[in-house]
Amino acid sequence: MSEAGTTPGGAEGQTLLGAVLRRWFLRPEAPALTFLVLLVAVFSLAVDGFLRAANIESILTQVAVVGIVALAVNQVILCGEIDISTGSMLGLCAVAAGMAATATGGVWLPLLAGIVTGALAGALNGALVTLGRVPAIIVTLGMLYALRGVILLVTGGSFVTGIPQESRILGVGTIAGINTPVIVLFILFAVVALIGAHSTWGRNVYAVGGNRRAARLVGLPINRTRFLAFVMVGVFTGIAATIYMGRAGAVQTTAGAGLELQVIAAVVVGGTSIAGGRGSALAALTGAVLIGVILNGILLMGVPGVWQNFVLGALILLAVSVDAVRRRLLGGEGV
Amino acid sequence: MSFRLSFSRELVLLAVLVVLMVVMSQLSPYFLTLSNLLNTSRYFVEIGLIALAMTMIIITGGIDLSVGANLALVSVVVGFSFAAGVPLGIAILLGLLAGLVAGLFNGLFVTQLELHPLVVTLGTFALFRGLAFGISDADAVSNYPGWFAYFGQAYLGPVPGQLLVFVLAVAAAWFALSRTSFGRYVYAIGHNEEAARFSGVPIKGVKLALYSSMGLLVALAAVIYTSRVSTARADAGLGLELDVIAAVVLGGASIYGGKGTIAGTVLGVLIIATLRNGLILAGVPSTWQLFLLGVLLIVAVFLNEFFRKEE
Repeated sequence: MSEAGTTPGGAEGQTLLGAVLRRWFLRPEAPALTFLVLLVAVFSLAVDGFLRAANIESILTQVAVVGIVALAVNQVILCGEIDISTGSMLGLCAVAAGMAATATGGVWLPLLAGIVTGALAGALNGALVTLGRVPAIIVTLGMLYALRGVILLVTGGSFVTGIPQESRILGVGTIAGINTPVIVLFILFAVVALIGAHSTWGRNVYAVGGNRRAARLVGLPINRTRFLAFVMVGVFTGIAATIYMGRAGAVQTTAGAGLELQVIAAVVVGGTSIAGGRGSALAALTGAVLIGVILNGILLMGVPGVWQNFVLGALILLAVSVDAVRRRLLGGEGV
Repeated sequence: MSFRLSFSRELVLLAVLVVLMVVMSQLSPYFLTLSNLLNTSRYFVEIGLIALAMTMIIITGGIDLSVGANLALVSVVVGFSFAAGVPLGIAILLGLLAGLVAGLFNGLFVTQLELHPLVVTLGTFALFRGLAFGISDADAVSNYPGWFAYFGQAYLGPVPGQLLVFVLAVAAAWFALSRTSFGRYVYAIGHNEEAARFSGVPIKGVKLALYSSMGLLVALAAVIYTSRVSTARADAGLGLELDVIAAVVLGGASIYGGKGTIAGTVLGVLIIATLRNGLILAGVPSTWQLFLLGVLLIVAVFLNEFFRKEE
């Protein structure tokens, strides 16, 4: 009797724990977050000064630009689309912000210039994908070329320099002792997390990416949902570009080159499925921070800079492989 | 029906090419000379070789973003194993092997883990490029023996040697895609992978073969490239994947899979090469070229999908 009494209780405890663990590991960002915690532990044991607040803040400051763009691209990927134009878009927005800064100074006008430029480019992407019915990878690949061309046409190939100090505040300033880029990153994360979970558009994004046919049959505005996601990438890229301009102090014509891949790497490493419909804002943030921690950690450990890309590539492959194996083990649950 | 349609699309591309050539010959008197046209071919053969395998991969509904990085990796393997004292002949073989292994690596991830090729090749895009930078330590190797120039700088009469290699590769790719059961499998996978699986098409084998051949073709292009510029550097082939995909998609292959031809891709490669060469000769700044190429890509696919819908 007593045995019979304890066994079910124990089993219940186990299944409860099992259920909690299972539920946790079903979350899209679970592997990346676990990996991040492990890595931080390893680096703080292996490298002196890794866990210092100043180093953590410097990592977060460095990932802010990639992270902010990743938060928006995450929504596009959740829709089942992709945006690989963000590198050139960031460059163009930074040029716009830089020109506004040199012309008028101040903080808000350059920011506005960056955001408007980004929103226009994003709207063009969105219109071509939804109304033009051109696959997103082609539209944004074409825009990656075309926008870089526009940068060269606008600047005539020269740098944007002479940006006044006051316009750089978004990149190099501090609020309450914390670097502004970090604050902006976390504010935007909170906004996207809230919108993603609690707004109609946020829910539509998951529906459109998860099963487009079903979404169409229940009458969801598929085109408007995707269009807004592309515009959001433009707006966020505009904000990130202003931070970039502030940090760099000048804008080169190559600004943002290669950013598009880092952004997609962050989203995918974080656990958002490239097939759409599955993922979260936390996944994008985790992915961006994870990549930042790894690049910072290997730098502190004295790995030569030439190996950075190799580590980044290996990391992407590891993350997506773990995700694939996990999905197989879970038998397609939560996919 | 669909044969007639794809035939007419290639005719349209041919017309575009002819119009483009007429326009370019008006812009520059040097454009329509035999020596210029043959010379141009020295620059598009590398893109063209890779575009052949890319066509087949895109027809299966896949994509390979790692080709530019793989080209750099092979180039660095050839150059730096030679610099380390390996005989150049062996170094070239090592390079071809590296390219093949890199392609196989992509293929294994795509088939065994059933990952989306976009994600896999995005990862190997960074991995291969990083490996090239790591091996070369961001340094360059030149000073090859004279005979190495044979691969990328030789002429047979007025004809650049690599043009002959390209013509042979085009013939082989055309044969494989339109005259063998392998080619049928490629289209079947792109049309409906599920249906192809139930019909007994060896999907994993076909994909593995495609990504491996891509690796080998990239390696071949890399040897030609390294010989042509006489330098092995880790930043070789930056952005190459975009040119290749642009050519293939311009040639009428659908990014959704199931559609595309070798003839279309060859025309796509020629149109892009003509545009680039002609604009350079006409003195149009390179800034406009990027812009035009991007717009051209979007417009071409827009028209493609537009006609597809009508169909």
